[in-house]
Amino acid sequence: MNTPLKDIIARCEGLFEDLRFASVQEWKAAAPGRKAIGYMPIYVPRELIHAAGMLPVGIFGGGDQMEVIQGDAYYQSYICRIPRSTVELGLTGRLDCLDGMLFPSICDVIRNLSGMWQIMFKDKYVKYFDVPQDYDDAIGGEFYVHEMQALRDDLARLRGAPVTDDELRASIAVYNDNRRAIRDLYAFRAQQPWQAPTVELYLLLRAGCVLPPEEHTRLVREYLAAAAAEKRTKRDNARVVLTGAFCEQPPLGLIKSIEMAGCYIVDDDFMLVMRWLLDEVPEQGDPLVELSKAFLHRSAQTPSKYDDKKEDKGKYLLEQVRTRGAEGVVFASPSFCDPALLERPMLQDVLAKHKIPYTAFKFAENTGQMAPIREQAGTFADSIKLWSAA
Amino acid sequence: MIHTAGIDIGSGAVKTVLFRHEGDRSLWLARRCERIRRRDPMQLAQQSFNEALEEAGLAANDIEYIATTGEGENVKFATGHFYSMTTHARGAVHLAPEARAVVDVGALNGRAIWIDGRGKVLSYKMTSQCASGSGQFLENIARYLGVAVEEIGPLSESSKNPEKVSSICAVLAETDVINMVSRGIATPDILKGIHLSMASRLVKLLKVTGITKGKVLITGGLALDTGLLAALREELVNEKITGLEAMNHPDSIYAGAIGASLWGAFRHHRLKELQQRAAA
Repeated sequence: MNTPLKDIIARCEGLFEDLRFASVQEWKAAAPGRKAIGYMPIYVPRELIHAAGMLPVGIFGGGDQMEVIQGDAYYQSYICRIPRSTVELGLTGRLDCLDGMLFPSICDVIRNLSGMWQIMFKDKYVKYFDVPQDYDDAIGGEFYVHEMQALRDDLARLRGAPVTDDELRASIAVYNDNRRAIRDLYAFRAQQPWQAPTVELYLLLRAGCVLPPEEHTRLVREYLAAAAAEKRTKRDNARVVLTGAFCEQPPLGLIKSIEMAGCYIVDDDFMLVMRWLLDEVPEQGDPLVELSKAFLHRSAQTPSKYDDKKEDKGKYLLEQVRTRGAEGVVFASPSFCDPALLERPMLQDVLAKHKIPYTAFKFAENTGQMAPIREQAGTFADSIKLWSAA
Repeated sequence: MIHTAGIDIGSGAVKTVLFRHEGDRSLWLARRCERIRRRDPMQLAQQSFNEALEEAGLAANDIEYIATTGEGENVKFATGHFYSMTTHARGAVHLAPEARAVVDVGALNGRAIWIDGRGKVLSYKMTSQCASGSGQFLENIARYLGVAVEEIGPLSESSKNPEKVSSICAVLAETDVINMVSRGIATPDILKGIHLSMASRLVKLLKVTGITKGKVLITGGLALDTGLLAALREELVNEKITGLEAMNHPDSIYAGAIGASLWGAFRHHRLKELQQRAAA
């Protein structure tokens, strides 16, 4: 029997709201010796953690339901909120279920957070996970394979046994399947955005941050079946790509407000970890080399990723607009997010050159006042519907 | 020929209109204005829509586009939603083609909108969250003073020595009014003072939009308050903004709903064009 849509969403909501990570604790308790490794946005090769028999757990801040008290003491007022709430999660014991934490290269703040984490949580495995800024296989590729090998060795030590190539290939297959399901989900929403509201898609992605990938893939497929069967009314909304929310997450209310205001979000950059690699990673050959090639040559673009060529700036965003049939772009970036806010004018230039309308605002993960955002998104939708050249 | 509906859910009333469009002509078929009075606005929207259909002799599936505006984003049977600025601008040029600005004064806030001859919003400014420049505040004061809403305008116009109240905060303004009553200030002077305070705030908003000349149509629930219109004219003179002329229209209260309905017709044609283009 198919799971009803409301049950799927209720389950995802439960996982999203649980800042004590009970599902992770339950997964660990189900078999002795199980370990869970946290990772921050934007991307880590989760295949390595999975291959080591561990659960990769995405840590995307504390959201708008958690009061940050201790975390604020660690940062100046001009720093974004995600490191504060992540520190708060750690210091209040909410991340005790994690046996380690990966801090990928996003920005200076998150890089420094990896050092702070090493000092604050001496009994945990902590790694700053660097990424290549050169896309030549022989240079950046070799560096990245070396980074992944170091992580693989660390995980092997934690596990007490090596992580074999066959285990890695099996994990690549598991994540290829997950990526396929997510691609189907995004294609479905772009085709019929009224059938798959972004707030539901978002909750599904967040569920994938705490569930084992096999279970998450099943959940996404169940959602697709249930959402397709649901009778929902199509509205005359403007189709937009939302960009800038690749690290600190907007509150759910903000996503709801944008759609309520008359926009259908048909693509975004939420939880890019699940869509970072744009196609299948070959399940044969050297697994680390294949993961490296996928990263270097077939991965998404964000402000945190180095652009090799100036002319490539905004290429991924333009592709999102083109392939999804979007009519405009909404820049929604966290306050004080250096990568997103420094990149924004360059992306806006690219959009202006292609005559793609855009609007821009800032948020924090605990933004509570939605009226101005609703008004801005609503008037933007009106301007597209009434005054665009199409 | 197509039919469209416009439903404007405000904080004080639900306004519903039906239009028939033939070529460039738009014929107004039916209208409803229901005060919310603690009722569910969504149910009221459905009820008003049904009544308007009945008045026009139409069925729901005769309506090609149902457009909402104001707080109507959640109306389930709507085809699309437009924002208040967009719809008041379009409604204003429909009612008064010469209008180049709109002052929309609703139950909870006010806004000034600079528009062009097509009803396109060029710039706008809203009051902040404080309700002192709003219809609800004026209605509350009238109730304290024992004055019926329809008496507010004529009484205000008969004032000889208006006493201005705080234009910043509704709570302070209410305190001002209590003090005035205890000091024996005449009711017309209190009401005129309130109108002048509201007008001064609205003129400031108009100035911020950048408009300097043209006609300004008052829309929203207070559009027919003659006292407010007179005060607005006085404040424009006081501020030496001689290029702007305030005016109202008997149907100003429907401006948002009219704009929604007309934009709905525009969208219906555009969507049809896009469909035909895609099919070709």
